[in-house]
Amino acid sequence: MTHAFTRVHGAVREYEVFARKARAEPLRLVGSVVAPDDDLAAAYARATYDEERWVEMVIVPRESLITLWAPGAQDGG
Amino acid sequence: MGAELGRLVLALADNKQLLGLRYAEWATRSPSLEADIAAAAMGLDDLGHSRVLYGCLEPLGEDPRGPERESDPAGYSNLAYFDRPWEAWDEFVAANAVLDTAFSVVIEACVEGSSEVLRTRLRKMLEEERYHFLHGRSWLRAGLEPAYFERAWRQASAFFGPPGREIDQLHEAGLLSRGGAALAARLLERLELDAPAVVEIDWKAWDPIRRRLEPGGIDTATFDMMRGLEERRFTHV
Repeated sequence: MTHAFTRVHGAVREYEVFARKARAEPLRLVGSVVAPDDDLAAAYARATYDEERWVEMVIVPRESLITLWAPGAQDGG
Repeated sequence: MGAELGRLVLALADNKQLLGLRYAEWATRSPSLEADIAAAAMGLDDLGHSRVLYGCLEPLGEDPRGPERESDPAGYSNLAYFDRPWEAWDEFVAANAVLDTAFSVVIEACVEGSSEVLRTRLRKMLEEERYHFLHGRSWLRAGLEPAYFERAWRQASAFFGPPGREIDQLHEAGLLSRGGAALAARLLERLELDAPAVVEIDWKAWDPIRRRLEPGGIDTATFDMMRGLEERRFTHV
């Protein structure tokens, strides 16, 4: 159980948080969290965005999203 | 066994009330904004859980709470770990990972036991506790001063109690799905840890009502706040 004391995680990544209130609705982006791993990201997403009665909430690492085009990009937007 | 079950539920309720308050004290002091929000959310969860647990006392039989709780901080059945505000983030992490999870495995044993009141009322608690567990285990893996882990582990062991006592008796009666040794094993399994170094416990000092080894009680400021005295100081007459 001996580890170096780490007050702030060194390597973190951004996760996008998606949720919906009813089965008939699509998932929509409700925000993001920054965390060092999936577990902590799940705990942070639930703590931060649990104000509403979502029927589903999922998180995705930002780096896993594949951008087709974006504002300011050459081929679109 | 109704009285023993009531006292165990009261100890769970008191510990969750104090755990919730201690979590909340870190809502602006943690290492990151996300952890601040998680501390506040977990604090609210555990205060809510304590209210549900207090609400189970009467349906379980005689409410074990006595009038001494109005004047004596030692009238609360909380672990010594919660007597004082935590001074280090590692104290928070050890409580979150070890003690919060220890309470969850006892609640799980209640939900899987034969008491209908506990089976129905405590189930939702375990769903919320999943996120406390993920938070605690992740921070535990990030690093923790061993002394904080050992202190929390020792107090979790005290909460489970010595062999053959109330928790084992409640298990034999079917009211809990696990006895003390199985609860400790379940805690290790959930935290994905090997057994820590043998913790020698002098059970002669163990208080079977408060489920702790140390004398003493909640600090005066917290106790006054819990009784509403802090708020009354600001009331206009």
